[in-house]
Amino acid sequence: MSSYAGADTTAGASNPSGANNLSATEIDAHQRAVSYTCGDCDQDVQLRRGEPIRCRNCGHRVLYKKRTNRMVQFEAR
Amino acid sequence: MPEPTAEELERRNRLQILPEIVSDQTSTDFPGHWPGENHAYDLEKFKKNFKVQFHTDDTASLMKAQKHAIPSSRRIDQVFSLIGIDASLANAFRRIMISEVPTLAIEDVFIYQNTSVIQDEVFAHRLGLIPLTADRLSLHNMAWYTKPVEGEPTATELTDQNCVILHLQVKCEWKEGGLEKAAKGVSDPNELYVNHSVYARDLVWQKHGKQTEWPEDDPVRSVYPDILIAKMRPGQEVIMKMHAHKGIGQDHAKFSPVATASYRLLPTIDILKPIVGADAKKFQGCFPPGVIRLDSVTSEDAKKYGELSEKEGEPKAVVANPMGDTVSREALRHPEFKDKVRLGRVRDHFIFKVESTGQWDSDELFLHSVQLLKTKAQRIKRGLDLMMK
Repeated sequence: MSSYAGADTTAGASNPSGANNLSATEIDAHQRAVSYTCGDCDQDVQLRRGEPIRCRNCGHRVLYKKRTNRMVQFEAR
Repeated sequence: MPEPTAEELERRNRLQILPEIVSDQTSTDFPGHWPGENHAYDLEKFKKNFKVQFHTDDTASLMKAQKHAIPSSRRIDQVFSLIGIDASLANAFRRIMISEVPTLAIEDVFIYQNTSVIQDEVFAHRLGLIPLTADRLSLHNMAWYTKPVEGEPTATELTDQNCVILHLQVKCEWKEGGLEKAAKGVSDPNELYVNHSVYARDLVWQKHGKQTEWPEDDPVRSVYPDILIAKMRPGQEVIMKMHAHKGIGQDHAKFSPVATASYRLLPTIDILKPIVGADAKKFQGCFPPGVIRLDSVTSEDAKKYGELSEKEGEPKAVVANPMGDTVSREALRHPEFKDKVRLGRVRDHFIFKVESTGQWDSDELFLHSVQLLKTKAQRIKRGLDLMMK
């Protein structure tokens, strides 16, 4: 999936001067933001690739990924 | 051929309930048990002796005690007697009602979102157990659905004939001003949140295909709208789609149409010698209310039994309603009733209690069980015929 930033998201945030990472940030700037939940204030945080992992509301640095809308099938047994 | 007397037949038809044991449980009316007597199964004899009796049931109080989505004219907790039938048949009907009469229940759950604290699989299981109801003729005409199993070619296609689609979409949110209220210490969820509970009434039926022709006023819905499926807090949400199929109780208990179907034998209480005075009061107390009535000793009684000559007008214990007895055997514990009372049960009087989950009426379930047993018997007969060819 293209919206999945992968492991180099953190690298991009801490080291924006790298040529490879810079171009990646430019491409992803137009892409869909991913919504996270703040671990401290429970606010919604929209993050794009390359952005620092930080809550815009309280500055907390722990964010939780939300459950996707992917369908899972269960037997009612 | 010797014919047994009526008293002898009645004696044979009784189970004995003694202080420590129950005896004479097995029936003896089969060929070869009584020398010289003919006990071959005879349909005409069965037709002549067989009786069905309906008793007052608890449906009305049941309907009042719980909120139902079905009309109160439905009879879902009937009590009736089958008299003059063998235990093997009565038991077959009971077992068929529990495990072989088909009903509609949720079988597959497609979870798109579930952020509630109930885990997906637990949620799905809870949904499966909800008793559903709909137009009964349409339900009756529904077809079976067989799940595709690897290596087996028996799978059927999902169609409007064998599948009912239900939706559940609930999101919990703060009520207006709820956050401020919570800060002030209010903790009542009704004041703070909207949709904090997911109920069975939130299930929405999505008609498809021929189902659009099903009666408008009788949609597929839960029998009990107030079944609590999950509790939620602001920000939590459930979005799911469900497939309900027809199935039988043998496969899973959720398909069983009865909460339970059971029978008991009619209890009998025989007062062998009159029980009068304070003893009668005590005797009455040995049984549930309504079983023993207190009459007064008449002059006829006094004439009949010498020991009652001085006691005219005193209370006397009379059996009023043996059906209400729970057969606790309390009367057999007291020495003053020794040799005065005999407890028993009638071997061929089955008092059925069929508690339906609400999809079908109790009597419909019983008739369906009779039909299913008939079908089984015919299948065996066909098999035997094939064997003889």
